[in-house]
Amino acid sequence: MTKGKLLLLFIGAGLLTYPLLPLSSDYVLHVMTLAMVYMILAMGLNIVPGFCGLLDLGYVGFYGIGAYTAGLLTIHYGLPFWVIVPLAALNGALWGVLLGAPTLRLTGDYFAIVTFGFSELVVLFLTNEIWLTRGPLGLPGIQPITLNLSWLNKAWYFEFYEKTPNFYIAALMVALVYFIMCRMEDSRLGRAWYAIREDPLAAASCGVNILNYKVIAFAISAGIGAVGGCFYARWSMFLSPDMFKFWESFLVLCMVVLGGLGNIKGALLGAVILVCLGEILRESLTAIGLPAETRFIAYGLIMVLIMRFKPSGFFPAVASSGRSNPLLIDLQKRLAAGAAAKEKSRDSAA
Amino acid sequence: MTPLLKIDGVSKRFGGLMALADISFDVHEKEILGLIGPNGAGKTTIFNCIAGVYKPTSGDIVFTPGDTSIRINGFKPEKMTELGIARTFQNIRLFTSLTVLDNIRIARHCRTKANFLRSVLRTPFQKSEEKSIVEDSMRWLEFVGLASQALSDASSLSYGNQRRLEIARALATEPKLLLLDEPAAGMNPKETRILVDLIHAILDAGICVMLIEHDMKLVMSICERLVVLDHGTLIAEGGPRDIRENPRVIEAYLGRGAAGNA
Ligand SMILES: Nc1ncnc2c1ncn2[C@@H]1O[C@H](COP(=O)(O)OP(=O)(O)OP(=O)(O)O)[C@@H](O)[C@H]1O
Ligand SMILES: [Mg+2]
Repeated sequence: MTKGKLLLLFIGAGLLTYPLLPLSSDYVLHVMTLAMVYMILAMGLNIVPGFCGLLDLGYVGFYGIGAYTAGLLTIHYGLPFWVIVPLAALNGALWGVLLGAPTLRLTGDYFAIVTFGFSELVVLFLTNEIWLTRGPLGLPGIQPITLNLSWLNKAWYFEFYEKTPNFYIAALMVALVYFIMCRMEDSRLGRAWYAIREDPLAAASCGVNILNYKVIAFAISAGIGAVGGCFYARWSMFLSPDMFKFWESFLVLCMVVLGGLGNIKGALLGAVILVCLGEILRESLTAIGLPAETRFIAYGLIMVLIMRFKPSGFFPAVASSGRSNPLLIDLQKRLAAGAAAKEKSRDSAA
Repeated sequence: MTPLLKIDGVSKRFGGLMALADISFDVHEKEILGLIGPNGAGKTTIFNCIAGVYKPTSGDIVFTPGDTSIRINGFKPEKMTELGIARTFQNIRLFTSLTVLDNIRIARHCRTKANFLRSVLRTPFQKSEEKSIVEDSMRWLEFVGLASQALSDASSLSYGNQRRLEIARALATEPKLLLLDEPAAGMNPKETRILVDLIHAILDAGICVMLIEHDMKLVMSICERLVVLDHGTLIAEGGPRDIRENPRVIEAYLGRGAAGNA
């Protein structure tokens, strides 16, 4: 247990110092940053199918909304990244509520179809509302992330064109989202979601307002998706509607399922595996003369194989962050002490 | 004195099937009321009407938890729970992939308040609430005798223990009225005896109990008053002795003609 943790710490520290090494390559840094974008997305999506048990096929719509919100606010108003992140999150959450409140009454498949339709609508909007989004031409020339500390020191104004600072900002955002997710998971809110996933009728009998909590889940998930899009916009400095096609939703869903529905660490691992696999496939498929899009066949194949051999993903445990809760650790100790005392009294009686 | 729960002319229709037809009876404070009847009589349906799963087609259900009476037909299940009506299910519905403790912690939902922001920021309010949730949950687990298994998976419990966990989960919502749907089904005699003690303890805690049960010996021994349903109609109401000798009840259970022979 502790050995595994040590190893994990070691790997983590190694990865974090990678950009500082003299032989670090820009390509590897790019892939690592991309993997972190997908980590944010996968953690956000995980809330809806993982915690609440609802199939969401339109997640990329919120990603797109967040990305374009960030892109447009940057181009037209020149707002700094740190202001845009909460604005994009709020805008994503707002659309999450607008879509979720009327449609979350639908069950299972119907809801999935509605979300799918929503993400297609977002792409249509981005393509056709040329006055706002420039349509298929895309949004070029988005300013990179900046950090303005000139109020501290005249020289401290940074524009992050290079890969390295973007890598660290992405890492920071992943850490922040991870932190929020863990705290939500081990709270009244997270427990209400689990109850809904396990048995909606029993959840309602425990006093959980199912519709409300589904809408909250959907809004938070959408907000996190928008935050991912927000970073993506300022990092890639270019947006176009076809970046937000349905395939992206499917890819993120694959990540969540691969890692284990409802497990935050699983979502992280799933993102890393599928982003790396995507890069490998893109290279190897073009090498043998197939179009790069055929990689989606490989993703489909992976889904089939997971369903067959590991139906609950790599990390099947749900609600796992609760185990490190000091209250529960304390309770466990008390229970163990109680059991030991009982044993003892039985021994002395015998 | 106004009864705790008043069922007044309640009917429930499923398409062409009249599952409940003009049912009226009262549940009083500090009482344990038995609800019996042959299969398909409509017992579970009336529980579902009281608990807010179904809306009665006609009639009134009036609940008087304190000084004020509330007409509760058509309320949502979570609203009923908040008002003080808790229930268990005929076929156990636990949150099976969660721990025993988590099952109870979820039931504390309706009596606690921490929201998204408080949970993420872990405010002092949220922390102390979480602490009291664990303490209250452990108290209810102790009450039903499952405290030592608090951290095991709910699915790993024996059948009888799963039934008791479901009762603990219902109790943790702090109800005034507890609806138990066949709690002894599938229990062995020892587990049934523990259950009877538990039901008496619940009554002593000031919680009123309504009990659906097929085990006649059990029902007759612990209920002071019984209501008998058959084909959606109320055919008898009274003490165990009256019910046992009531010809209509015997007929419902044993078929036409049996009453004469008995
Ligand atoms: N949701 C529903 N839709 C249609 N019919 C229903 C529904 N729920 C119950 N019924 C019907 O209503 C009648 C009463 O059912 P109910 O479950 O209340 O019986 P019960 O007295 O609880 O029987 P048991 O002792 O078998 O549990 C049955 O004929 C049943 O088929
Ligand atoms: Mg029934």
